[in-house]
Amino acid sequence: MLLALATASFRIESSFRAQFWFKLLSGVLNVIARVSIWQSVFLHGAGSTDISLPQMITYAILGATTFSTWDATQILREIGADIRSGNVVSHLMRPYSYPVSLYARQLGARAHEMLMIGLPVLVVMGSVYGFQLPASPGHAALFILSLLLSIFLLFTVSIAASMIGFWVMDMLALEWSLRGTLALFSGGLVPLWFYPDAVANTVLYLPFAWISFYPLAIYLGELDLLSSLLHLLYGLSWAVVSAVLVALMWRAACRRMIVQGG
Amino acid sequence: MRQSLSLYLYLIRLQLRTRLQYRASLIIGWVAQAFGYASVYGAIWIVASRFEKLGGWVWPEIALMLGFHVLGYALGALFTLVQLRRMEELVRLGTYDTLLVRPVSPWAYLVFSGFNIEYGGHIALGIGMMVWALPQLGMDWSLLTVLQLVASLISAALLTGSILTMIAAMALVLTRSRYLFGIYFDFWELSRYPITIFAMPLQFVLLSVVPLGYMAYVPIAALLGKPVPVIGEAAPFTAILAGPFMVGVAILVWQSCQRRYQGAGG
Repeated sequence: MLLALATASFRIESSFRAQFWFKLLSGVLNVIARVSIWQSVFLHGAGSTDISLPQMITYAILGATTFSTWDATQILREIGADIRSGNVVSHLMRPYSYPVSLYARQLGARAHEMLMIGLPVLVVMGSVYGFQLPASPGHAALFILSLLLSIFLLFTVSIAASMIGFWVMDMLALEWSLRGTLALFSGGLVPLWFYPDAVANTVLYLPFAWISFYPLAIYLGELDLLSSLLHLLYGLSWAVVSAVLVALMWRAACRRMIVQGG
Repeated sequence: MRQSLSLYLYLIRLQLRTRLQYRASLIIGWVAQAFGYASVYGAIWIVASRFEKLGGWVWPEIALMLGFHVLGYALGALFTLVQLRRMEELVRLGTYDTLLVRPVSPWAYLVFSGFNIEYGGHIALGIGMMVWALPQLGMDWSLLTVLQLVASLISAALLTGSILTMIAAMALVLTRSRYLFGIYFDFWELSRYPITIFAMPLQFVLLSVVPLGYMAYVPIAALLGKPVPVIGEAAPFTAILAGPFMVGVAILVWQSCQRRYQGAGG
């Protein structure tokens, strides 16, 4: 059934053709913006770094196509509308857990975005700007695992944020707070190795770093295989913690819900 | 004319009173949106300070440009974005038809009755960044430069309002126009950087077909006396005239879409 939900949301996404072309254009512009920044600072800026320009271009292209987090916050708007209208109650009657169904729905939409938009943009822009392959087959395998972990964490974090909506009812503020947090702490826009040390030392241990930064660092081989594996396990424990958090929040939200009328 | 103006003011007052009923929520929204923007600016600051320059601009110059960008955008968007983003819904549900029979311009009715004060965070952030950046740049101020700053800020606000109006007008003809707002924001994001970081064709696009280069880059480059590609010496004038010019274009587009409008339902 959860597979059916994921497939349905995949199909919904693919039924708007004009939207598809504009999303492609949007993906291209996003890559251009990020790559242009790195080209500019690497070619004209001062300040030295161990990272090379081709590595940063790969980081930017992968970051923009596979790890973009801005749209993931849309789920808050959907849940917010469900809470406001009271529709959320209808999910209680269905034979599945509401948070798990949210995962399935997001997974379909995300898969659509990655395969139908992210992948073509990656191939085209990669051939324009140049694109590096994973550092080694081992890194490639760990990258795939960390990508799955990243998707899971992104969904869990956004579902947890939307659960707060049962108490504060203000989804716009939650959506923007989450966007800001992810923009700054996930390392999707700027890799954490460029952050000032004092900030990086904290951000490197927060769960958000596993959403964009660590998968990309593993891909580029900036972490050796053993430390990639250890970081992956660390990230996995964040996934468990956040999944438990969502389950607890959902239980508390269910207790808080009052159903009127019939 | 005077009657319409007082009606518009009344509509704004009505909207203000409604929104001010939930003050805490309003302020939380301001803070959250300002935080969302500040985080992205923070990421840009990290790049600019790590590599000293971005496109030949140092951080205080970029900060001034970002502050100007978000302020100009907010001043235009508070009259247009949320109101006009609903356009395709208004057309589909037939609500737009009910506006056509009212004794006031449908555009003006939508714009003023939806006056949106959710941009407090944007405005505070924009002014804050400009106030922080300006003293560090050692500029020679005269009455003329102050006027130039104010006029180009008004132009940026008009530019925002007129582009959003044109996109909304498309809904009258195409029925769906929401995704065009998405494209607008993609270009809008590009216009946050000194456009010299982009390849020449994209610089040209941002200064002509999609004139978002005039949102912040051209006005601030003109104020700081930095060379501007393509338009060169004309930069200070184009920075002031881009907005009013686009208003003219937007009026023509709105009128022509309005004439073609046939309604979406039966």
